[in-house]
Amino acid sequence: MHLLRRALHTTSSVNPAEIAHFTRLSSQWWDEAGEFSFLHKMNPVRMRFIREKLLEVARDEQPALNQPASTSALKGLDVLDVGCGGGLLSESLARLGAKTLGVDASEANISIARIHAAQDPKLAQSLSYLHTPAETLLSEPKRYDVVCSMEVLEHVDNPPTFLDTCAKLVKPGGHLFLSTISRTALAYFLTIFMAEDVLRKVSRGTHTHAKFIRPEELTAFFRAYPNAESPWVDAGRGSPTRTQAEIRGMVWNPLGARWMLAPRDAWGAAECNYLFWVRKPIVPT
Amino acid sequence: MPLPSSTVYRRAAGHFRRSFRRSISTSPPEEYDVVIVGGGPAGLALASALGSSQLVRESLRVALVEASDLSKVLDWTPAAGTFSNRASSLTNKSQTFLKDIGAWNYVDEERTCPIQDMQVWDGVSDARIDFSASLLGLGSPGQGMARMTENLNLQRVQILDKLKVQTIERPEGSGDWPLVHLDNGGILRSRLLVGADGFNSPVRSFAKISSYGWAYDTQAIVATMFHSPRGAFMGPNTTAFQRFLPTGPIAFLPLSPIASSLVWSTKPPLATALIASGPVVLGSMINAAFRLPDVSMRYLNGIVLDAHASGNPVTASQIQAEIAWRERSHGIDETSAYTSIIDVGKQGIPPADAELLPPLVTSLQPGTVASFPLRFNHTDSYLGEGQGSRTVLVGDAAHTVHPLAGQGLNLGLADVECLSRCIQNALLQGGDVGWWITLTTVKIQLRRFAGSRTALVPYGQERYFENHKIMSVMDKLHKLYSTSFEPVVWARSVGLEVVNELDSVKAALMMQASGKRLEDASPWDIGANVVESLAAATDTARVVGTGVSGMLGAVLQGALKAVGNASSQSKH
Repeated sequence: MHLLRRALHTTSSVNPAEIAHFTRLSSQWWDEAGEFSFLHKMNPVRMRFIREKLLEVARDEQPALNQPASTSALKGLDVLDVGCGGGLLSESLARLGAKTLGVDASEANISIARIHAAQDPKLAQSLSYLHTPAETLLSEPKRYDVVCSMEVLEHVDNPPTFLDTCAKLVKPGGHLFLSTISRTALAYFLTIFMAEDVLRKVSRGTHTHAKFIRPEELTAFFRAYPNAESPWVDAGRGSPTRTQAEIRGMVWNPLGARWMLAPRDAWGAAECNYLFWVRKPIVPT
Repeated sequence: MPLPSSTVYRRAAGHFRRSFRRSISTSPPEEYDVVIVGGGPAGLALASALGSSQLVRESLRVALVEASDLSKVLDWTPAAGTFSNRASSLTNKSQTFLKDIGAWNYVDEERTCPIQDMQVWDGVSDARIDFSASLLGLGSPGQGMARMTENLNLQRVQILDKLKVQTIERPEGSGDWPLVHLDNGGILRSRLLVGADGFNSPVRSFAKISSYGWAYDTQAIVATMFHSPRGAFMGPNTTAFQRFLPTGPIAFLPLSPIASSLVWSTKPPLATALIASGPVVLGSMINAAFRLPDVSMRYLNGIVLDAHASGNPVTASQIQAEIAWRERSHGIDETSAYTSIIDVGKQGIPPADAELLPPLVTSLQPGTVASFPLRFNHTDSYLGEGQGSRTVLVGDAAHTVHPLAGQGLNLGLADVECLSRCIQNALLQGGDVGWWITLTTVKIQLRRFAGSRTALVPYGQERYFENHKIMSVMDKLHKLYSTSFEPVVWARSVGLEVVNELDSVKAALMMQASGKRLEDASPWDIGANVVESLAAATDTARVVGTGVSGMLGAVLQGALKAVGNASSQSKH
């Protein structure tokens, strides 16, 4: 828990070295065979998790809403994609009808994302990009139904600040989706030793093991956030309740060469890559 | 009167300017999500499948481009009792798919015929296997697909028929989206370009997808055959017959009580000579090809070839006299089912072995005799890459198969089913249905398990290997049965006969399909799996091994036919 226990003292979570690293790689965002092929393959799984979780919440609140068309979950929602990179997730969100804003601290990423989105006439209405760190959005009044930040947390300098920023950008009753890598020996072996050193699928230096965050650390953060009296997730031990937060492992299946979304509470599934969802309480209690 | 040269020049320049202006000031391209090139069965089925999905209708703009006039297909009103020579056996899987997409409603089931029994035998040894467990819907695809167009009209797929694709390009600035230029000047910009445009696919050339294959030294003769109805003591005309001759298989596929479809694969010169000799000679030769021993068939083939080469095609009376003589010399008596001189099926109690043979062909439907060369062809990938990205191939554009049992259509429909499923899945995840397909599939092939690169790759992955298995099985079957080399004949025959005696083995082979009900199973999968595992076995006892795969080949041949159509079943 050492990472998240740090005080929320710095104002920006952006790490200049990380930004430089991704700027160097930016031309490869849409090369499906290149550096980011694992992310391309992960994207459908991330989208499925987002869509299904939103549907689940909608059904919980309105049982009458029996069988909403399965693509309608995101329609019309204000969605923010923090650390959008080349726009892999942003484009998918926009295609499902979300009014999507993608932000990234790297200017090169944003221009690549803009160029790519311009090819697709369907995205013109619903997708926009902004070159900015997430923190500057706090000064504006706009808040979002859904804030996503996928595979970003392990690259930021000060995770608590970053989480705080993301959380503040969520409307009451809105959703925060994160995905990152757990700080385990397995994660070191797979994401650094295998992916970067042995198979060279990912550039060296993309990941730093010490910056990985365990799912229970994230849960613990939201059990004390924004304060210990009225946290987003009820205090306690073990898994949070389904209506407040959820952790789902993503497991790479080398045989099918694709990612699989592990079932809820699958043992050991969140030892490496995982998705995290938490909901902001509707009324701050 | 010659025009002054300056006028000519000015006119030419004006013409040049006009045409130049036209070419640069064409209307902006129309945006589509899916452009299907080709209105054959695969293309129409894809359009229909996409149109039948609410999800696709709400989110994708689909167009189908076809050079011919589809309304002719739509207005296809065949005279009762006549049949197109292009019939296909639809597996149950294909039929279920057509039902799911609503296309089967437009199939005139009166014009389809279930196969309830299947007789397959070896032309050299007469080893035989029969399957009666089942049925198989047999219809004319022209018809099924023809009706499908009505369906399409209901489903708001943009049909652009009577329009040719002139060029396909990917200019700078259009991203990686292909532009399809039509011959009326229209331009379609497409997220995903589907090549359903047949063997000489322009889409495939655009995407620079190479293919490999070989022409078999074989020509297939097709025709619609008329015969007398099965007699009172015999079953209905619902049995398919296939005899493997060393020159190629000859198949008899029932269409109605008095009409059946012929697919006779044979050597090209013989096919030419047979067709040139006229329908009566061809009819007699068909009857003989199902009945006479191979040695006599070789002799008769020689006569037909020599007569054709000499410029005097063999006459009907000549060939019938030859056949009668060969029958006598083989001791076939004239009350046997093996005689083609007297139609024994017509009168009284049929001979005991009548059910082993197809009815005698009395005539061929005029205009249905045709032939085409057989090819084995498979593209290196189904998905374009690089300059050809956002391109995907289905049906014959991707693979051409030995038509041992009309499998080409079923493979194409399975492609379409898989592709439309992939498109729908991608839509659910907000995927770009064209982008996800843009994959370096050559590499996928090489690194079958390790390196596929995309979410829609399921299409490339799933279909490529399925199709390849089936195509390989067909190819091996063809080669196995093209020989009269003794040990191979013996082995394949023993294998065939042993399996024929072992009902439990037959049933097991048919039921094995991954725990599905028999009628859901794709027997090709079973057969392909079996043959594949055999291929993985060692080279020891090669002759026996060949025999076993031959037997399995025949078994799966039968198993294919074994798949039935529940609705037809209930009717009969």
